[in-house]
Amino acid sequence: MPRWLTQFRLTLRSLFLRTRVDQELDEELQDHFQREINAALQAGLSPQEARFAALRAMGAIAKSKDECRDIRHGNSIDDLFRDLRYAGRAMRRAPGFAALSILIMALGIGANTAVFSVVNAVLLKPLAYRDPDRIVTLSDFLTNSPGPTALSKQVALLDVRDWHDQSSSFDAMAYYTARESPVMPGVTAEYAHAARVSAEFFRVFAIEPVLGRFFTANEMQPGDSGAVLISYAYWQSHFAGDPGALGRTIRIYGRPLQIVGVLPPAFRFPDQTDLWYPAINREPPEPRGGQNYLAIARLKPGVSLEQAQTEMTAIARRLELQYPETNKSRSVAVARMRDNMVGDVRLTLYLLLSAVSVVLLIACANTATLLLGKATVRAREVAVRVALGASRRRIVRQLITESLLLAVLGGAFGLLLAYAGSRTLVALAPASVPRLAETGIDRRVLAYTFGISILTSLLFGLVPALHALKVDLNDALKSAGARSVIGGGLRRMRGVLVIAEIALAVVLLSGAGLLIKSFVALNNVALGFRPENVLVMRASLPGPATPVASQFFTDVLSQLGTVPGVSAAGATMAPPGYVDSSGAYMIDNLPSNPDWTSAPKTVFSIIAPGTFAALEIPLKSGRDFNHSDITGRPLVAVINEALARKSFPDQNPIGRTIFCPFDTLSGMTIVGVVGDVRQRGPALEPMPECYMTYRQHGYNGATLSIVARTIGNPEALAETVRRLARETSPDVPLKFTTMQAALSENVAEPRFRTLLFSIFAALAVCLAMAGVYGVMAYAVGERANEIGLRMALGASTASVLRLILGQGLVLATIGLAIGLAAAVALTRLLTTMLFEVQPNDPLVYVTVAFLLAVVAVAASYLPARRAARIDPLTALRQE
Amino acid sequence: MSKPTDLVQGTLDLLILKIVALEPMHGWAIAHRIQQMSSDVLQVGQSALYPALHKLEQQGWIDAEWKISETNRRAKYYSLTRAGRKALAEEAANWERLSTAISAIVRAV
Repeated sequence: MPRWLTQFRLTLRSLFLRTRVDQELDEELQDHFQREINAALQAGLSPQEARFAALRAMGAIAKSKDECRDIRHGNSIDDLFRDLRYAGRAMRRAPGFAALSILIMALGIGANTAVFSVVNAVLLKPLAYRDPDRIVTLSDFLTNSPGPTALSKQVALLDVRDWHDQSSSFDAMAYYTARESPVMPGVTAEYAHAARVSAEFFRVFAIEPVLGRFFTANEMQPGDSGAVLISYAYWQSHFAGDPGALGRTIRIYGRPLQIVGVLPPAFRFPDQTDLWYPAINREPPEPRGGQNYLAIARLKPGVSLEQAQTEMTAIARRLELQYPETNKSRSVAVARMRDNMVGDVRLTLYLLLSAVSVVLLIACANTATLLLGKATVRAREVAVRVALGASRRRIVRQLITESLLLAVLGGAFGLLLAYAGSRTLVALAPASVPRLAETGIDRRVLAYTFGISILTSLLFGLVPALHALKVDLNDALKSAGARSVIGGGLRRMRGVLVIAEIALAVVLLSGAGLLIKSFVALNNVALGFRPENVLVMRASLPGPATPVASQFFTDVLSQLGTVPGVSAAGATMAPPGYVDSSGAYMIDNLPSNPDWTSAPKTVFSIIAPGTFAALEIPLKSGRDFNHSDITGRPLVAVINEALARKSFPDQNPIGRTIFCPFDTLSGMTIVGVVGDVRQRGPALEPMPECYMTYRQHGYNGATLSIVARTIGNPEALAETVRRLARETSPDVPLKFTTMQAALSENVAEPRFRTLLFSIFAALAVCLAMAGVYGVMAYAVGERANEIGLRMALGASTASVLRLILGQGLVLATIGLAIGLAAAVALTRLLTTMLFEVQPNDPLVYVTVAFLLAVVAVAASYLPARRAARIDPLTALRQE
Repeated sequence: MSKPTDLVQGTLDLLILKIVALEPMHGWAIAHRIQQMSSDVLQVGQSALYPALHKLEQQGWIDAEWKISETNRRAKYYSLTRAGRKALAEEAANWERLSTAISAIVRAV
């Protein structure tokens, strides 16, 4: 038998056949004893003498037995089991205590795990593609501009071609654009996420279709009949996974494309794309000035991000010199796709993770105070064990095992909580957070939970364990009652822990207060229009918005006017809340060689007549568009007050001319001025805006959102409007929402972090309250005699109440002071997330202080009342 | 007369290995044999013997087996394992080196 197997067998024997192994040891020693006697008898001693001689020769049998036992393998495992059994017994003896500590730890660990599972999915997990670290994004940026702008990631087609041809760092480089597009997979039109992709797009991800093939070279050329790849999910939902889907036709923007392949289930890039079709480019291609694509690439094996960046910077520099009129001050940034995807949410998620870690810390402090509360009882037990010969190491190990058991049980229940919690988190999270769908309990999350369980058990277990060691053996054994064993040190330590709990709770509460105040401010901003009771229906014409095609909107709008319950209706390219298009403008005259880069900027909006009325954007002067503002008639425009202020200070803009390089350079006569709207959500100031009418700007009017102001609930009218639109044209996909729902997306991220932060703060306050209660209740129990004596000597109920409440308030005040100082320092981290609120907002801190004081008093009140009801006689007799 | 505790650390292990290398033997016999072979210079008490035997067993150097002994009772017989044989060779070599070195110094004076 190999040596390790022998040893393994012996380990198992000593673990599971303990009695038998011990019996054998006894038998062996007995045998030895008999032989000693026999030897002595043979030497001629009497039986009695022989027995004594043998006994003398044997020496201390018990000691050598112990030594033999200590030598056995598996002792440490055995000790662990024994400790665990012991811990289990201790828990059963005090089930309430155990349940409470496990609950507290489960809350702390569960909340932590839930947040971590989201952080893991969004920030940490590698992308589900082959060699995800080699997939990079290439983003255009202005070297002379400090911050990134909304469109700064977009790149120009010709630039990508040059990058592709001149670089050697990449296996593949591709560009794409993706948007929700009108699609007809069968007879009904719908919206689907569709991406136009260049030839090497799929090579960047190194994937293969599960069915069919990728595009051929011919299919990437102009004039081809067209091909489309579909996602696995789309294949399942629209073709029930039928292989016969290959060869079927899907119309995208009215153009029939033949399905040539199905992609693997996990592949939905970008976002939740269902359809991919070739980005076929007109010759000559669009100029370098138009940045309409996103670029991605796959690094060659062994090429680092830095090497690729160096090469790309050099290429961009060359292009800058070669095409100064378009590429001046422009360069390209290479970033790992994962880093690029998460961008903004990183801060929010890490903020939440730190907040929830603070909750866990408080939970640890809470459990530690609970354990310390039992320390008095434990002290005697520990003293007895030490007196019986247990080593201190062994005692600490035992106590740590107990907290470990608590923490692991807490962790297990926490995992259950986290499972439910992470689903709630995902449901609450803003839709814009990438990769949320991947949230789940995976190996990494399990490891994290297990890790923090162990860590927390040390955090809350070590203090009581070390404390137990300081117990003086004599004192502990002598003292009859459990009272005076540990005394002041213990009380101080519990006080410190509770102060820490309060301080941490104050930090969280302050953060939550600031976020709440900021969120309220965000929601109270005057948006410049009235979002209530507006039904929004997005509709896309399947092709370019020719005058004939855009008749659809005219028809629907005129019919909407007759629908009972609709008080006004219009249509807009971009409902307030997001900006579709922006650019430069000029007033009065257009030079023959205009310098657009130095001209002022404005938002461009295509709308239908009636939109201002429907959204209740006030008309300040002039008129709205009307039904005679159509192609062939003089071009007209309506501007907002911000634009009027900027370009027509103290002048009347009506009748003046504005030039926008939007789809025509012809001047437009300004016919009206309307109030400002916060186009980019409540957090940002209104920008200048130039409205144009859809029947004069056909090409850009293919997708409009019809906005209808309703009397009563707008959603109730959705079906009517849908039917009306379907009757007008079945080829137009429709999507319904309400203005308020659309706007809430704008504040989804602040709402998410405010809500979660508040939940964590509330949890923290509850835990701190429980902590204060526990310490005060314990203190009252401890001082029962003293209080009884005081009362016997004439102290009034009120003064006893004051005494105990005062003690609670002292703890609370110290905690508050420390917490507020820490909060002032830490909440600065929130600055970028706050809206119209300063991180040192006094009102918030005063409220927090007040709230905490109330909580501390409330938590001390019950113990105080109990103290006041102490019967002096009973209390004194107990001594 | 030397008490077992005076045995140089590890020497008892060497003696036990050497003795059981001859034939499988129970604890008492091992102690007896050590005493005999050392002409009563070395006496090993059970308090040193059994912890040592159990340690060697746990290390996998000796193997134990219950057999009926000449007294018609069950006794635990120890025998050398293959790993034990190797260990014995090493320990013996070590001992040779050490004792030669010590003797060299002692005699040199």
